[in-house]
Amino acid sequence: MKQKNYQVLPGPESYLPPAAASQGIVLPEKGEGLIEGRIYGEEETMVAIAKKLLNAKNPTFFPGPLVLWAWRDGVIEKAELLKELADIVGAKIIPMPDYRPKYPKINPEEEINPNHPNLTIWHNKIDACIFIGVHCHYANMGLKLIRGGTNCYTIALCGEYGHEDANITLRDVNLDTMRKLIKVTKEEKKKIGLKEGGNANG
Amino acid sequence: MKDGKLKIVPVFEDIMPQEYIDLVNNGLFGEDYGVEDLGSFKELLEEHPLCAGCGLALAKRLIAASFPNPEDTIVVGTTGCSSLSFTQMALHNIHSIFGNQNAVASGLKRALKIRFPEKTKDVVVIGGDGGLGDIGLGMVMHSWFRGENFATIMLDNEAYANTGGQESGMSTLGKVLNMAPTGKKFPKLSLPQIAYESGCVYTALVNPADAKKLGKIVKNAILMARELGPTYVQIYCPCPTNFKFKPEETLDKLKERRKTDYKTQEFISPEAKQFIERLEGEK
Amino acid sequence: MDKIAIKQKEVDLNHLLKKSKREKHFITGSEAVKEAIKRANVDIAIAYPITPQSESMHLVGDLYAEGYVKDYYRGENELGVMSAIAGAAMGGVRVFTATGGPGTLRAMEMFPTWAGSRLPIVCSFLTRGINSPLTIQPDTIEMSFLLDTGMLMFHAENSQDLFEMILSAFTIAEEPDVHLPIGVFADGFFTTHTREIIELPQEDIKLAPYDPYISPVPAMDMETPPVRQMRDPFVLKSNFISYAAHASWQQEVHAAKERSIKHINKHLGGMLEIENEDAEIMIITSGTAVSQSRDAIKRAKEEGLDVGLVKIKTIRPFPYEDIRRIVKKAKKVLVPEFNIVGWLAKEIRASVEENYKIIGAPRVFGGMTMPPELILEEIRRACK
Repeated sequence: MKQKNYQVLPGPESYLPPAAASQGIVLPEKGEGLIEGRIYGEEETMVAIAKKLLNAKNPTFFPGPLVLWAWRDGVIEKAELLKELADIVGAKIIPMPDYRPKYPKINPEEEINPNHPNLTIWHNKIDACIFIGVHCHYANMGLKLIRGGTNCYTIALCGEYGHEDANITLRDVNLDTMRKLIKVTKEEKKKIGLKEGGNANG
Repeated sequence: MKDGKLKIVPVFEDIMPQEYIDLVNNGLFGEDYGVEDLGSFKELLEEHPLCAGCGLALAKRLIAASFPNPEDTIVVGTTGCSSLSFTQMALHNIHSIFGNQNAVASGLKRALKIRFPEKTKDVVVIGGDGGLGDIGLGMVMHSWFRGENFATIMLDNEAYANTGGQESGMSTLGKVLNMAPTGKKFPKLSLPQIAYESGCVYTALVNPADAKKLGKIVKNAILMARELGPTYVQIYCPCPTNFKFKPEETLDKLKERRKTDYKTQEFISPEAKQFIERLEGEK
Repeated sequence: MDKIAIKQKEVDLNHLLKKSKREKHFITGSEAVKEAIKRANVDIAIAYPITPQSESMHLVGDLYAEGYVKDYYRGENELGVMSAIAGAAMGGVRVFTATGGPGTLRAMEMFPTWAGSRLPIVCSFLTRGINSPLTIQPDTIEMSFLLDTGMLMFHAENSQDLFEMILSAFTIAEEPDVHLPIGVFADGFFTTHTREIIELPQEDIKLAPYDPYISPVPAMDMETPPVRQMRDPFVLKSNFISYAAHASWQQEVHAAKERSIKHINKHLGGMLEIENEDAEIMIITSGTAVSQSRDAIKRAKEEGLDVGLVKIKTIRPFPYEDIRRIVKKAKKVLVPEFNIVGWLAKEIRASVEENYKIIGAPRVFGGMTMPPELILEEIRRACK
């Protein structure tokens, strides 16, 4: 059932979109990222992320348990950088505190859940989002469901190998990567600002 | 609440849903709460899909309030009504398959001993009577024979409740249930005695009408399992849905059985006795 | 207890298998299992006897006594063993066990559970027939039952393969983008009980330990957030949204299997090996049937018959694309197998367009051997 030249595009794709890996999409190597299923350099991927976030109407970050709880060194700093990036692009932050199914009791205004992420995306009309600090299994599970039922553009910042099921993904995301992404985003924002006469607020 | 895994990162404190803030600020992690403090702290188990008046829900809330060290406690459950509320429990817990809980717990406890030699990680099995007394009995008993260091707690509703009220080995003699259309032909298994003979240093039969005693027994069983070996606690959990009584009558059922065959009682080995005396001496 | 005699340096798989100096040893397949585990830095191994697996787990027990394995015990039955191994893996340690034949089926419910829980368990299946009638003889029928459990399946041709595949399995299984159980299969008796020369790296090195903190699912240790976490939750509500989550979870397990291909290519040198791809008659097979086929092909060559060979090393993931290409070019394809159902022939037939080319022969079972003459006879017939 493999499709030729499958691309990981925003949905709604189908009631049950295929896992991108089963369509031949391969994870990036070190120093690379994936944009819609194609391999690019890390820098280019960052620029694409910045543009998506800056051009979105309602960008929202979904920090997961690994970045919400101060369980090991570096997490507090990573969270601070994420907050900084959110401020730059004017993104809302909605947490994913854990992975237990919460349907139908979830309050979509204040949290997101990997088992039924669409509820939060539909409710808040989110058109671009970032997954970060989510265990890889749950991230892929949620990203696929989002591609299935929404038109939200998904970006996954992964501490390990990345996520084919996101529209854009970066791998090995650490504090340095976050700082670099912030720098790239600021530069992109400046470019947009120049074009629009300095009024860009993300 | 010194543990990082239970500390919200400062920049996200303002966006965390209230229930997590409550768990951190008003939960029982790092505190010395017990059954008698219920109502004054955020419980580990809150919302759950169990029926109104369910004896399992009552027992689980009492057990969860009695863990001696909840911040380092991992629960292993098994399929059935007894496991239905575990996804809502604010502890690491495992479901696996029907009846294999004591084997899973054996591997888990040994793994945690290897990874955390300096720290005590409590593994606690909490399962129903079908999982522990019937389909998983072999694995339950072998974990006792091997002397595994964890407590096994049976939530005994005397039937397979989740599948629609069938007879289990723990059902009482003569009881008419599904798959026992003319009444159960053999008596309720005497698992506390079997546990005692199989290497459990401490076993107890518990009626939750004695709530404070339940708390003490669960605490003792978990503490002893760390040092002495396996322990077994069997708790009566009436099931209004399958035994066809009103949810508000659960407490009456508990009290009725306390007068007859489900009194709270302990079977204490000499080393367990010494252990309890030592604990009380420390207080 | 005597503790470890040799101090072992921690290395990666590449160093262990490709860079370390090798020495020749004349050992059995069971001993090859021991030699692999000696260098695998295993935390917990759990055993239960069944012929023809037993000896390998005795030897792993010896490794425990010598201090190479940190914990080891004999479980109550295979279901208990596979459950305890799952518990240990969820606790975040590296585990190993082995079984075969009826033992595999006794434990059956746990294999899809392992995969669904994303547990990087390595289990060696030393295959044998299934009752009834009772048999302890070699047969690969159990592999047919395990094709769709979500586990990866490697099939060793000989003891050398068994050694390399077990060690590679730990590294591949533990990759955060894979994190699935791997069954390393070897044909009981033919591999486990026969002695051959194999080349082993030095004893003073072992794999670096498993890191539970990069796992795609949290270890059940009350150290990894979130603390409110059921490791293997179930669908609690009866509705489309909840079932879609379950479906997406299953897709992710199979996606992880796809991701393993990259790591298999790196560490095992690919999912298959091909010799003489342009021959008109191809033999495609796995396990010891590969060795038997080599013999038959050598003799066929003496008769002037041109036959190629494909050795499939990984049954899951299955090398569909290579198989399609090979079958397209060949005139006829023989699939020798050691089981009555011919699961490999079925798999190949289902993945190619020209399924009339596939000849599921020779096929032996119930403990029968497969002398090269049987294969040669099929080659001659195919050439007519």
